[in-house]
Amino acid sequence: MTEIAFTFPLANGLHARPASLLQETCLRHDARVRFLNQRNRRRADAGSVLELVASGTVGGDPCLLEISGPQEKEAARALRAFLKLELAQADDNPPPGISASVPAGWLPPVFRGGAHRLFSGRVLATGIGCAASARLRKPRPLRRGFAAGGRDPRKELAHFQKAAGELQAELGRKAGEAREPSAAGILKAHLAIVSDPGFAGSIAGLIARKKIPAGAAIEETAARFARVLKRSRSVYLRERASDLEDISARLQEKLYGRPSATASLPSRGGYIVMAADISPSELLSLDRRRLRGLVLGEVGSTTHSAILARSFGIPAVSLPRRVLAKISSGEELVVDGRRGLVIDRPGPALKRYYRMEERGLRLDRRQRQPARTRDGRRLEIAANIGSPLELAAAWRNGAEAIGLFRSEILFLERDAPPGEDEQFAAYSQAARAAGGRPMIIRTLDVGGDKRLPYLPLPREENPFLGFRAVRFYPEQEELIRCQLRAILRAARFGRLKVMVPMVTGLEEVVLVRRLLSAAASELRSRRVAHKEKIELGVMVETPAAALSLDLLAREADFFSVGSNDLLQYFLAADRGNARLGALYDPLHPAFLRLLVQTAALARKARRWLGICGEMAGNPELLPLLVGIGFDELSMASGLIPAVKEGIGKLDSGECRALLRRALRCAGARDVARLLQEFHARSGGVGAAAAVIDPDLVRLDSASRTSGEAIKELSDLLEISGRVTSASALEEAVWKREETYATDLGFGFALPHAKAAAVRSSSIAFLRPAHAIRWTMEARSRVRGVLMIAIPERLKGEEHLRLIARLSRRLMHEDFRAALLGAASRDRVTKLIADCLREGE
Amino acid sequence: MNIVAVTACPTGIAHTYMAAEQLEKTARRLGHRIQVETQGAMGIENELDAEDIAAADAVIFAADISVQKRERFAGLKVIEVGVQEAIKHPEAVLGRLGS
Repeated sequence: MTEIAFTFPLANGLHARPASLLQETCLRHDARVRFLNQRNRRRADAGSVLELVASGTVGGDPCLLEISGPQEKEAARALRAFLKLELAQADDNPPPGISASVPAGWLPPVFRGGAHRLFSGRVLATGIGCAASARLRKPRPLRRGFAAGGRDPRKELAHFQKAAGELQAELGRKAGEAREPSAAGILKAHLAIVSDPGFAGSIAGLIARKKIPAGAAIEETAARFARVLKRSRSVYLRERASDLEDISARLQEKLYGRPSATASLPSRGGYIVMAADISPSELLSLDRRRLRGLVLGEVGSTTHSAILARSFGIPAVSLPRRVLAKISSGEELVVDGRRGLVIDRPGPALKRYYRMEERGLRLDRRQRQPARTRDGRRLEIAANIGSPLELAAAWRNGAEAIGLFRSEILFLERDAPPGEDEQFAAYSQAARAAGGRPMIIRTLDVGGDKRLPYLPLPREENPFLGFRAVRFYPEQEELIRCQLRAILRAARFGRLKVMVPMVTGLEEVVLVRRLLSAAASELRSRRVAHKEKIELGVMVETPAAALSLDLLAREADFFSVGSNDLLQYFLAADRGNARLGALYDPLHPAFLRLLVQTAALARKARRWLGICGEMAGNPELLPLLVGIGFDELSMASGLIPAVKEGIGKLDSGECRALLRRALRCAGARDVARLLQEFHARSGGVGAAAAVIDPDLVRLDSASRTSGEAIKELSDLLEISGRVTSASALEEAVWKREETYATDLGFGFALPHAKAAAVRSSSIAFLRPAHAIRWTMEARSRVRGVLMIAIPERLKGEEHLRLIARLSRRLMHEDFRAALLGAASRDRVTKLIADCLREGE
Repeated sequence: MNIVAVTACPTGIAHTYMAAEQLEKTARRLGHRIQVETQGAMGIENELDAEDIAAADAVIFAADISVQKRERFAGLKVIEVGVQEAIKHPEAVLGRLGS
């Protein structure tokens, strides 16, 4: 017998995912593997996921694997590799989307006073729901045949096997049909439990030994495993106990039948379900078109029901059970899954407030949709990152992929290169955090100005034209093969692709292709799990590569233009040289011609073409990029919202026409002028238009109070991506209003704030259908509300100057009359933008 | 009359400039000469120098926060009002200068 001792590495404990990976590794060999937790002395058959999970193993536990059987040696080798390399990667991601997007504590004035009751709880799933409450009554399983059930073990075992078979088939079918990946994952996890040899073995054993009915054996087995889980020190494992109870109930239902849990729900209209807890199958059985929210007892945020609620977008809040008992069935209820509130019997003002918020959330979701031009041309918008730490910000800003992951950060500022395992850990962490979104990793790009102490490259006269990036790969094959091995291994956890920097010719791509297959064959011979094939791309940074895309396409699967280097090599102008600043201009017509030719070659070779330089994130250049026909734009993530918004305003036909004219221009300045005219015509960007656009104007608003108007404008600003949190802006605006109201007294109010939540200086305007009495003391009524939002740390004064100018203009009767009389949102936008432009 | 004025408000984004505009506009309509310094988010602008102040008959402080470099105006007749007062009732504020 071989023994392997190890310390359990995962913070969430030995839950289903690592357990099934361990089980898979064991089943590959003809050997018997026993698992022993030396802290609590529990044993498990490593071939049973359930027994492994029930061992109650948590992070830091000393553990032992005992291996015996014909293939003992092979199994031991594979298990050692598994423990060393893979186990640490098997923890689940932190549950998505549970961080409340709204800071707790401050509530808008509309929440104060009123007849409603306000309960504060924990957010399980974000969103807003408003409907009648309905308490979920859980019917007891019918025990017909349970007590009276035959004592014939043979018959009982057959009953159980039939029920288990039916449930397996049903779960398998539902998992196949489920559209949300998390729902499918949960159904598969349940399927794994029902099919688990430890689970079925325990039930069969009880039936045979104790001569009890199948139902009783199921109940006892589920309860035994659940008891063990509930005692676990890991919250995550404790919350898995509800899965076992759910499966037990479903099997009982198959055996004896059971009335549906939905019977107590209203027969029509939306409803909010209140329950101390709800099982995943109960949740799945509810009519999701009518389910507006969940108010649950002390349910954990990683329970499968909470995960399901999040993936279905059903707002859910958990309240202490004694509080939950205070709310009666049939009452009107608001579930506020943003602030973690449940509001019983909301008054009309609060309901209006939440209706506005619901509408805002719907629009916000639309904003997060993929970017498309007005005429429907799709562009993928991706983020450039230098470290996995930047991923969260990328997703928050609406990135659809990672277009450039610069791997250099792993290699810099150290005395020796990072090993394969260290790189694997970094890439796989990033791959898992990408949650299925594509990620392009650029292979090592050093040399030139970036030097490494352990990489002896010669000092050069002219490093940018020297021995850098792919050019030193032939001398450092092992360094690159090691990086490629780490990427191939991590590719099991996400959609990774690799991209080669500084390519000038086909032989360089052939070299990397060869290194990639060598890396794969090394992993194969070491029997380390990896992905055999991944896409290989070329970063187009030299004019030579740009003009030979069709040749490179023989070996490359995709291309991405690195416009910063390409431009400096093309124009022979150092981008760091301030005296050449005017020359280093992406609007140079020759450069645009180069890009057009590159795109044509990519289309001819049927290859995907992206761009990941600074050009990609500049909203002013967007019409040209759309005209050229890039498939993807990749940029620093902070620039994404503005670019996405910009794309939605463009027409690809108009962009192509603009590009044709630009290609005929004599110089960069003429192209710049052309672009400026284009933007001015289409209400485009520029500093003045950057602070206001028609989406920030609302005429005939239904807002009736200052609170509603401020809320509506804050929501508009959040939806447009200019403000990260409407509620944070609202709070800042109210703090300002409370020093003194911003009702100017000429029918205008000017709420404003400087806040950290503001991304870019913005103006929003609202005209209420019915004039608003801004404060209780106000003598006159407000007919126009102009909101100004300024970032906390504003770079430069340009926007402040524009807004100062606008404030001055508001003192003039003619300007105010024009704003109140303007017939359309475009007209209002133009009035404000023109006023700002005079200041430019 | 020769008037100088300083406007300043808590955030310095809007009211400072509205008050300045209102005072300038109204004073000119009433036949006065006026120069207004703004102390807002962009710092001090249109700063009044010793010459401007020496030539003035009075100073108006339309401010909700303390006025910076106030010592410059020592010895001058001072009218102090809130920013909102200057925005909503500029004639009344100027009327307090007497004739």
